Amino acid sequence: MKKECVAMLLAGGQGSRLYVLTGDMAKPAVPFGGKFRIIDFPLSNCTNSGIDTVGVLTQYRPLELNSYIGNGQPWELDRMHGGVHILPPYQSATGASWYKGTANAIYQNIGFVDLYDPEYVVVLSGDHIYKMDYSDMLRRHKEAEADCTIAVMEVPWDEAPRFGIMNVDGEDTIVEFEEKPKNPKSNLASMGIYIFSWQKMRAYLIADENDENSSNDFGKNIIPNMLAAGEKMVAYRFEGYWKDVGTLDSLWDANMDMLSPASGLNLLDRAWPIYGRTPSCPPAFVGEKSDVGNSAIAKGCVIEGEVKNSVLSVGVTVKEGAQVSYSVLMPGAVVEEGAVVQYAILGENTVVAKGAKVGCAPECAEDPGKWGIAVLGPNTKLAENEIVPAKTMLDKTHQGV
Amino acid sequence: MKGMHGIIFSYEKKTGLRELLEHRIHGSVPIGGDYRVVDFMLSNMVNAGVQDVGIIMQGKCQSMLDHLSNGKSWDLSRKHGGLTLLPAFAYAENRGGVGKFRGKVEALACVLDYLVEDVRQDYVVLADSDLVINIPLDDVLQDHIAAGADITCVCTSVPGESSDTYFKLDDSGRIVDTAYDLYNPEGYRSLNLYILATDLLIRLVRDCMAHNQYSFRHNILQEMGSKLQLRGYVWDGYAARISTVQNYYDRSMELLQSDIRAELFCPERPIYAKESDACSTYVDPDGECINSLIADGCDIQGSVKNSILFRGVKVEKGAKVEGCILFKNTVVKKDAVLHSVIADKYVVINEGRQLMGHEHYPLVLGRGSEV
Repeated sequence: MKKECVAMLLAGGQGSRLYVLTGDMAKPAVPFGGKFRIIDFPLSNCTNSGIDTVGVLTQYRPLELNSYIGNGQPWELDRMHGGVHILPPYQSATGASWYKGTANAIYQNIGFVDLYDPEYVVVLSGDHIYKMDYSDMLRRHKEAEADCTIAVMEVPWDEAPRFGIMNVDGEDTIVEFEEKPKNPKSNLASMGIYIFSWQKMRAYLIADENDENSSNDFGKNIIPNMLAAGEKMVAYRFEGYWKDVGTLDSLWDANMDMLSPASGLNLLDRAWPIYGRTPSCPPAFVGEKSDVGNSAIAKGCVIEGEVKNSVLSVGVTVKEGAQVSYSVLMPGAVVEEGAVVQYAILGENTVVAKGAKVGCAPECAEDPGKWGIAVLGPNTKLAENEIVPAKTMLDKTHQGV
Repeated sequence: MKGMHGIIFSYEKKTGLRELLEHRIHGSVPIGGDYRVVDFMLSNMVNAGVQDVGIIMQGKCQSMLDHLSNGKSWDLSRKHGGLTLLPAFAYAENRGGVGKFRGKVEALACVLDYLVEDVRQDYVVLADSDLVINIPLDDVLQDHIAAGADITCVCTSVPGESSDTYFKLDDSGRIVDTAYDLYNPEGYRSLNLYILATDLLIRLVRDCMAHNQYSFRHNILQEMGSKLQLRGYVWDGYAARISTVQNYYDRSMELLQSDIRAELFCPERPIYAKESDACSTYVDPDGECINSLIADGCDIQGSVKNSILFRGVKVEKGAKVEGCILFKNTVVKKDAVLHSVIADKYVVINEGRQLMGHEHYPLVLGRGSEV
């Protein structure tokens, strides 16, 4: 059955810069913002944009992600025709290989896309926090009669050298693409969101696969090749909140952005809901001796201590006398009596035992140059009164007693 | 087929729930910040391995229908069986189109075809939709089978109202007397939760209707008490029947006690509710939140004490909420003060308003009202 537009979501990355959090799961499965996981953002954007067919390309540690996505019901992607499909690498008559790059991942699934015979394919990545209407971007793609449309946003000039930069003409047609330029000519950064006319893209994917020197990557190969061949490529300007949460600092920042309305990340906004799969548990309980301020709390939390400027996910426990500030607590984390957690990320089901201390405020750091967020990976257990200094990272092999 | 089939009664009956039933039936009364009363019985059944549940409904069932939908929230959206809605209008003609059911047997008789054709299981569990409880029904079934009883009636030694049904049990657990409207209630109070064999149920319903009898407790439990092996299964865990505004308020406030929550929401038998897509609740730097249950999607800028907030409640700066139960999307504007108030869905309390109920007579604001 024909679909106008199919989305391909690249979710295979290891997320090596998040490594303590991604030891057992792919980056898109990392919890975010109390009730969500990172992948909920692109999936919900698809649903809200009217795209009902999504291929999720997985490779690294896909089990948690697979079971999270399930049949796609939380995102209304459980469809008779279309819906969400997990696409791992597979064996074929000519052999089998892992996904070699972003372009190769889609190349290996040309057959999947062809099942729906779409006019257009949206390529998304699974590590961005943003709300975007892809149907508006598709409108731009059609109006410009483009072969490829790339979502861009203006970034501060001093940050531009960290991004892929698009140089455009007066009609926002892309004339040049520079990956991480030292002296950027524009501050329009690629957001890693592309719409291609499928037949065109299909041809380039096949040509790219036949090029032995290619690294089979959209940014490095496909986009430059199309540009060099004179295909019509246009920019789609996006204004609004967007953040790549590929590093621990940016993940922490994006969670904190939820607490300040000025950031533009307002999850209470019901016009563009983000969907997610959460377990059944009772509402949050905030106890007699608790003190909660400027924080997001999710269902299943039991808070008896002090919580300030923090994001608490589903089922987090903060016991009496414990203090949590400027921290992100992922589902099921427990902070026991008298423990102090500051400027930290606690992974799923971590236990901070009585009297332990995790992280510290930047102004209290002995050496400000070495200050950073403290991170405990999923299932880490601290011993009583244990001290975890700022910028330390521990994973589940750490089981204090 | 082994196992139980669930039947839940959700038809209008006399209650003291006043404004809370203006737009709904008792089973769909919101409770505990995130639930409807019927969620508890549905979850009890699903957690005991029940795959098929029929809900006999009559009266203001729109909100119940919206809530139940296709049963997906309880994993009861199945290719075979699952949740079956049994609205009375589809069956009323069988009984000459009478408006209201006079008793459970009459309600069952109206769905006799369903009982005969669609109940695949050997046993049936009959339950009311106004009971807040987390009971392992599979254990009750085991006990029923092991004891060789005809009907097992779940009851509690915790006393209730005189209009409730009370059982007298002998040492073996057999019910030797059933009584209601007692001047001095004694014995074990019935939780109106029964397990019996499917074929026995069908036989009893046919027999009763042939004699124009309609009451389960009178015509079956009382009149057939000597012929049938009636067994009492004593459950002294938490069980709250929601029947008046006052007991709704009291039983709700009990949920602020951690031991009761631990029992009612035990992780091995989760209570499932309709999923929401609300994000987390936000507590403002000026917000205060003490001894309260807070559902997702709330925005708390004022002070909330000893209260239960449902999804999407907004408490603006300077507002004070104490001892209140605020249903979905209630808005308490700046500097308003609420004390012992139950606000139904979409209520708006305007700036500076002061509303005082009493914990022994909570003030109820009907759905959508603006103060």
